[in-house]
Amino acid sequence: MELLDRYLQAVKKHLPWQRQDDIIAELRANLEAQLEDKETELGRPLTKEEAEAWIKQLGAPIQVAARYQRQQYLIGPGLFPTYFYVLKLTFYWATAVYLIARVVNVAAQGSSLNAYAGIVFGLPWFWLINGAIITLVFALIELSGPRLPGKIAQLPPLNPGWTPMDLPPVGAGDGEKKPWSFAKALAEAIFGCFFFAWLLLVPHYPYLMFGPGEWYLASLPYKLAQVWWPFYWCIVGINGFELMWKIADLSGGAWQKRRMWRHWAMHFLSLIPLGILLAAPGQQLFLAKSAAANVKTLADANRGMHTALMIAIAVVALQIVWHAGKMAVEAYRKRVAA
Amino acid sequence: MGYSMTLTDNLFENLRLELRRGCLTLAVLAQLKQEHYGYTLRKALAERGMEIEESTLYPLLRRLEAQGLLTSEWREEEKRNKRFYRLSSDGEQIFARLLEEWNAINTSITNLL
Repeated sequence: MELLDRYLQAVKKHLPWQRQDDIIAELRANLEAQLEDKETELGRPLTKEEAEAWIKQLGAPIQVAARYQRQQYLIGPGLFPTYFYVLKLTFYWATAVYLIARVVNVAAQGSSLNAYAGIVFGLPWFWLINGAIITLVFALIELSGPRLPGKIAQLPPLNPGWTPMDLPPVGAGDGEKKPWSFAKALAEAIFGCFFFAWLLLVPHYPYLMFGPGEWYLASLPYKLAQVWWPFYWCIVGINGFELMWKIADLSGGAWQKRRMWRHWAMHFLSLIPLGILLAAPGQQLFLAKSAAANVKTLADANRGMHTALMIAIAVVALQIVWHAGKMAVEAYRKRVAA
Repeated sequence: MGYSMTLTDNLFENLRLELRRGCLTLAVLAQLKQEHYGYTLRKALAERGMEIEESTLYPLLRRLEAQGLLTSEWREEEKRNKRFYRLSSDGEQIFARLLEEWNAINTSITNLL
């Protein structure tokens, strides 16, 4: 039958080349036997319409051929949990690295708002490329699985060698839900007071911060710019604010609950002193104290410090976004649970 | 309404296929205690109430053979070359174990209902 020949030819095109002749010979024998049976039953050859209906119910050639493939998936259920875990990890970390690197690069070049928009618009491509690379790597692992029996199962999240004692303690990584003891809250407040006192004393007794290095620093022909004073008082203010918050919680009996809001607010406030330094006139954070100062060293130090500040601000901004995202997810979960 | 019926039908179809998948292997192994080629095997299974599409059965035979559960040979019958399959010795052992498992599941489900 011509239609059957055409059908088998179409199936053959999609079969693995090493086995296609063998598979087609078997398929032909089976289908011809079936056709013979049908025609014997009818007592006549199939009409054109009947033949067409019969061939159609056999299935589309590409789908029939696909059933003969040894592997019909890119990443199987055995490997998928590891793949998804790696994909998630890479998504978070690669995004953080990408954003920091690009923001610092753009800021260092003093580019316009368009350049920052370009960073955001570049993100989907970045995710796509990362996802494609990881998927490709895992597809190759899956493909080589039958050639490396037993090896794939050794990948960390699938490792059968784990023991229940390896499990993290309850509440680890979820500080918000873990009750905070009174002793810990009290210790935190006391150490907070000591730290605050130390902070206030540092300008008068620099050796409290630098130790013996203070005399070496004093001998250098460089000094800190005036902008460090508002930076310092800003740090003092933030620490004082946090300390007051902790003491208020302690005296109000609210020490058990660790507040995500406080954590978040502190991150947000920490942007202010960093911003003060970043906005230093002429990016001058260090100045020459005497004629012995090396102009190039001074310029390098100021440039290096400026870049470091931009990285710090980018990191803090990402942390804020991360916490905001976590809070949003938590709020959504609570709403769904309710 | 129509939309939710389609969703329910799809869900049922997916679950039905999932349920059938393992049973098909068992049925094929059971039937291949006697030698068959693809088409007669399909007919024999259909006569016993186990209808299987060609596009499912023929590749399944290849897979079971690659796994060492079946053996096959090309032979001429009625002036046509056909590939005959039968259970291998490994296949017999695996089939016996699968059958035990099947009976245990069947008993459990019967007890549950």
